[in-house]
Amino acid sequence: MKTNKVKILLLAMLAGLILLTGCTPTQTVKTAETVKKDTSWMFNDIVDATFVKAHIAVPMPKNVMMIDARPYKGKYAKGHIPGAVSIPFSQFDKKTNLLPKDKNTLLIYYCEGVKCKLSHKSAKKAVKLGYTNVKVYAKGYPEWISLKGNYGSYDAEHVAKLIEDNNAVIVDARPLKTKFVKGHIPTALSIPFSQFDTLKGKLPRDLNTPVVFYCGGLKCKLSHKSAAKALALGYTNVKVFDKGYPEWKKIYGASNKTMQVKAGTEEGSIDLELFKSIIANNPDSIMLIDVRDADEFAQGSFKTAINIPVEDLESKIKSFPTDKPIVFVCATGARSGEAFYMTKDVREALKDVYYVEAQIDFKADGKFEIKKSI
Amino acid sequence: MFKKNMASLMVMIFILVSFSMAFASEGPGGNDRKGKYTYRKVFKACAKTGEVESATPKISPADKTMGQWQEIFENKNFDEFGCKDNWTELPDKDVLDIYSYFYNHASDSPSPATCK
Repeated sequence: MKTNKVKILLLAMLAGLILLTGCTPTQTVKTAETVKKDTSWMFNDIVDATFVKAHIAVPMPKNVMMIDARPYKGKYAKGHIPGAVSIPFSQFDKKTNLLPKDKNTLLIYYCEGVKCKLSHKSAKKAVKLGYTNVKVYAKGYPEWISLKGNYGSYDAEHVAKLIEDNNAVIVDARPLKTKFVKGHIPTALSIPFSQFDTLKGKLPRDLNTPVVFYCGGLKCKLSHKSAAKALALGYTNVKVFDKGYPEWKKIYGASNKTMQVKAGTEEGSIDLELFKSIIANNPDSIMLIDVRDADEFAQGSFKTAINIPVEDLESKIKSFPTDKPIVFVCATGARSGEAFYMTKDVREALKDVYYVEAQIDFKADGKFEIKKSI
Repeated sequence: MFKKNMASLMVMIFILVSFSMAFASEGPGGNDRKGKYTYRKVFKACAKTGEVESATPKISPADKTMGQWQEIFENKNFDEFGCKDNWTELPDKDVLDIYSYFYNHASDSPSPATCK
């Protein structure tokens, strides 16, 4: 009887063991099958950031094209790898004309990271078109922008939005006399790359302020070199506008279409708050003329102001540049107002002319106080 | 009774202050900034004809009171300035602007003109 009980117990244990050993492998296989990802959507030639860095340059080599497959407005315009061409996957068929004629050109597609399929789908389409050297930078823009020393590029319309919102410092890295004075993006500061080290003090004190560098377009290196220097100085939000001034001019014209100087309540006067903001953030975006006498000017004025006493102004009006708004200042608005009407009378075609209708108290230490006129 | 009198007094003071403020801010209504330029322009043109020696006007708004300028401009009596022809040729709007410049920067105005 006792032997039977032992036998039953042993049999039960054996059965349990068989069940255990029999079930466990089956369960493991099922788990692996569940976890296994479907990678069939992925392109077969994936590259990393090192490969991308080794192949792109400014200007972009003729046998390389970096292609952003993300939507233009929501993604590309707000930040892309410098030099990349925008061919959103949704418009691939419509924009095949943007692809290079040489089918052996290295095409590197990217989009919004490892889960984004747009670059992979675009790459497959490119292969179908006959391109023989197609890669996908799968980690895409999110990784690119997170890597030390890298920076993104904006498109013109995003730069215009930043200017409108007064949300970034725009820096023109081209030479001052031969390029900047002939035309530049409104509100831009002139810090030619060749003078970066001596003029870097013009950059904002707050290292987290967004700073956007631009120069003469996709073949120009100056904005990139300046961006690298700004990053080295510790600026945390550095971007370039890679298509630069030629693109800006093409879209918005040489004149200022996006930034109109807001007029104040008196005819010809500049909005006082706007004037204060310009002086604080972008004093170089206007031509500031102090029309007080030379002795008054010598005792203190705005840093970017030039002195032309109102008595000497008339003969100089014809030579005023037209690439940026002209703003006259004095101590009370009386002489600057006179300067405004004189300019309108002598050179009617000059539209962007204003004066500051306010009491300005210039201090000896370079500071000043602006009060609304009574 | 005392409260009533106080309330009446306050109302009176309020009316008086408002009245004087309204009149104090009342001026000719032209553009004094433009008037300053036009006034100088008149003399520049006048100097070219040789009627006056200097193109810089000698009379300043601070030379008289608001009341005195009011009398001169309302009567259009510009003899003191000279350059009669130039004054005659001026459109009414320009005269009003010059009047505003003189009135707003008269010696007893809140912001009398300096020589600048």
